[in-house]
Amino acid sequence: MSLSRRGFLHAGAVSTTVSLSGWMGRLAAAEAAGKSPKRTKSVILIWLNGGPSTIDLWDVKAGHDNGGPTTEIRTPAEGLRISHLLPKLAAHGKDLAVLRGMSTKEGDHGRATYQMRTGQLPFGALQYPSLGALVSKELGDPTAETPNFISVAPQRFFNLDAYGPGFLGPKYAPLVIGENRSFNERGPVEYKAIDDGLKVDNLARADGVTADQAAGRLEMLRKMQDEFAAARPGAVAAGHLSAYDRSTRLMQSDAAKTFDLSTEDAKEREKYGKSFFGQGCLLARRLVEKGVPFVEVNHGFWDTHNQNFDALKPLAATLDQGFAALLADLKQRGLLDTTLVVCLGEFGRTPKINAGNGRDHYPNAWSAVLAGGGTKGGQAVGKTSADGTTVEDRPVSSIDLLATVCKIIGVDSDKQNMSNIGRPIRIVDRAAKPVTEVFA
Amino acid sequence: MPRRHAFPTALALLALASPAFGQLSGLDDSAEKAAKVAALIDKHLERSWKADGVRPAPAADDAEYLRRVSLDVIGRTPRVAEVRAFLADSSPDKRAAAVARLVQMPAHAGHFANQTRVDWLPGTLTDFRTMFQGNQFETWLRTQYARNTPADEVARKLVTAAVAVGQRGRTPANYEGPDADEKLSVAAYYQANDGKPETIASTVSRTFLGVKVECAQCHDHPFAPYTRDQFWQFAAFFGEFTPLSPTSPSFVGPLPPQADFNQISIPNTVKSVTAAFFDGTAPTWTLAKTPRDELAAWMTDRKNPYFARNAANRLWAQFFGLGLIDPVDEPGPENPPSHPELLDGLAAAYADCGFDTRVMVRGIAASRAYGLSSRQTHATQANPRRHARMSVRGLTGPQIYASFLAATGGKDRSVQNDYYTDEFRANKGLFNAMFGQAIGKPTESQTSILQSLMMMNGKPVARQTSVKDSDTLAAVCDAPFLTTEKRVETLFLAALGRPPTADERERFASSVDRAGKPDAKNEALADLFWVLLNSPEFLFNR
Repeated sequence: MSLSRRGFLHAGAVSTTVSLSGWMGRLAAAEAAGKSPKRTKSVILIWLNGGPSTIDLWDVKAGHDNGGPTTEIRTPAEGLRISHLLPKLAAHGKDLAVLRGMSTKEGDHGRATYQMRTGQLPFGALQYPSLGALVSKELGDPTAETPNFISVAPQRFFNLDAYGPGFLGPKYAPLVIGENRSFNERGPVEYKAIDDGLKVDNLARADGVTADQAAGRLEMLRKMQDEFAAARPGAVAAGHLSAYDRSTRLMQSDAAKTFDLSTEDAKEREKYGKSFFGQGCLLARRLVEKGVPFVEVNHGFWDTHNQNFDALKPLAATLDQGFAALLADLKQRGLLDTTLVVCLGEFGRTPKINAGNGRDHYPNAWSAVLAGGGTKGGQAVGKTSADGTTVEDRPVSSIDLLATVCKIIGVDSDKQNMSNIGRPIRIVDRAAKPVTEVFA
Repeated sequence: MPRRHAFPTALALLALASPAFGQLSGLDDSAEKAAKVAALIDKHLERSWKADGVRPAPAADDAEYLRRVSLDVIGRTPRVAEVRAFLADSSPDKRAAAVARLVQMPAHAGHFANQTRVDWLPGTLTDFRTMFQGNQFETWLRTQYARNTPADEVARKLVTAAVAVGQRGRTPANYEGPDADEKLSVAAYYQANDGKPETIASTVSRTFLGVKVECAQCHDHPFAPYTRDQFWQFAAFFGEFTPLSPTSPSFVGPLPPQADFNQISIPNTVKSVTAAFFDGTAPTWTLAKTPRDELAAWMTDRKNPYFARNAANRLWAQFFGLGLIDPVDEPGPENPPSHPELLDGLAAAYADCGFDTRVMVRGIAASRAYGLSSRQTHATQANPRRHARMSVRGLTGPQIYASFLAATGGKDRSVQNDYYTDEFRANKGLFNAMFGQAIGKPTESQTSILQSLMMMNGKPVARQTSVKDSDTLAAVCDAPFLTTEKRVETLFLAALGRPPTADERERFASSVDRAGKPDAKNEALADLFWVLLNSPEFLFNR
């Protein structure tokens, strides 16, 4: 199926659609009133799954035994140097705020992933929402055609719940595309493979099914769904209803074109690189441009226990190209001030190099990066010891980071949502101290 | 599927009896044991319902029960003929008889092996580096379930397996002889755990003792009485895979019985520890038994409070969607069991019957709680931990695909190589990729946009709901001797395992009849089939 063959959305077809949801009416009303919703901020989360060796990316210890062969290079920003593995990003030094004091406690992939993405540890029956769900609930337009939380090429196997909507419910679940696609990229990938891998499958009606027929089917299905949900109330039934609603809305919209990267200018595509991550960043830019408040793009698999420095070369090169192209593109389109880019994984890696020339899990001292969205770039906030093992200045916890993100994009992190155990829970725990140094 | 196949399909759909569900021949010894397990469950749950003022839901009807127990025991929904035969059977013990048959079907071994693999080695489902080993291991598990190998024996076989990881390990790798395949398959369990003592130990503790210890790898466990040192003492049972000293130590003198095979060094420290159990005891080391022998013996000892409880709890979770302790691998003061006495009773029953999994399956399936309707009739049933109504549960990719085949007339001959057509393979992969293996909680299963798009517009459903291409649908449309109502009924039986309600029968039959011309009527039946396959009644276990 190619998206360009989508010939089903024509006025006639839509007019026969029966009371699937009120979105059409609401859209029409908004248009009639002549006001487009005010542009709110968006977040693009670049997630480095597996735990990136930040000591070789953002907080280089050249000259120390723990630094290994990694060296530092200058950036246009006085006082900010980053790894020689990231030359393209270095050119954007003035936009980058590197938090060098990340300090957490979880060294298990699953628990650390959950903690960094929800601000909580997995605990009993409580289902905490992922940051993307929290943000998209606050900033997303519930009537939007495109889902408000989109996850590009994620690898959810360490902790599925860390990517979910938790107690916010299925309405806030991400649209996941290209799951695990960036797991083991080696060398350039053909655009065709990327376009097939990152598209939304099955968006067009099956051949031979007319618009009237589809509408009639959905109406009959809706009755069965309603009966089922009434007799067997609960999250499972509600989730089924919500997914069919959102799918139908997506099918009937023009939003699908946004996902079709094949229409993008070849030169533009080249800048992002021939990788799922690079093209994922391009897709993120297109989605943000359409007003999607939260897009995450997963990159690589950074669990470099063995031969860390060899493994980093291709990983860093792909990250460097995609991330740098994204910043340049956002800036050129005037979107960088309203788009916060956050780059991190679940933890860093041991400063001490192990016997296999690799680095192991290390939550005690590592780095995360913020750019755009009105943050004050060109600086490193916080400091680690000369050997990289401890944070000496400005430690930042998982909740500190999440509260900082909320502050930048204008979300009140003190706001409470009702949880699945009947207790209200704040977007971010009150103990959080936002990193004020990055506020402009 | 060409049209000429439609008639045999029609006969199969309309058949009144099926060899799969004939009469059960007499009572066996297991039936008695299973009945005791069911009585135990009923006693404890009825007591707790009474104490908490809970009004349980009414019993599920036969169709609801058969569909549920088929999904839980053989991993697919019943076929039309199976439903018809079961509904027509008037014998009072037909539910127990059906389960007794289901546990002997090859599909039971296949389904349980898949569930166990998902449970024990979830990483092998998505990590391409270990996927092959996971598949190998699943094959081994299938054999164990087909033979009904006792659960404690499975654990012992795994923990004491003669494996070497790379060049390491005290047991020489000897993958030859008549049981070479089995040895290789068991070794896959170790390979999938990276061959690392700490990873293997974590998996063993989580899956056989119900205690998740990964976090104690770096710090003391936040909930369970598990310190970092205790974690490494446990890992030291697998210390042979990372020997402390070279194979020919320069040290000359009397070696302790285990040399240093029962020791491990804690990474990033100068400390090394000797193997010990986390209840504070340790083996008396002799040369006759290896550390892994000692661990297996301690784990599966009748007096070990963890092993049987964990095995019973996991089985319970498989049949109810959540464990009596839930999450199943995070015990501790913060996560007490919902029914502690029931859990202890089940654990004792499991051990008493010699860890016979089929007895437990039949017992659980015969309990009142398992046989309750999933319809909520009173507010006190809302909390799933009370087991006062059956929870609605998500299905795994393999369950949905096998059910889709059962509903649409495709044959799941995955044990026979000749049915590995390209379409079969492609669809199987599609369903697995899209619905995954239920990594999350089945009682909180969420439908994704992509899943619903696949069911709405994807090829497999489109093909089976096209009058031109479909097997079942074409048969239903073509059979000359059927009234419209019968056609509607057959589609309901195929997709949902139940006849339509009077209202549904009337509503759908009249909408088909209103369509007018035969072609239009057929299209209306196609629409109905599409609706049924997309409905939550098809996509969930309920």
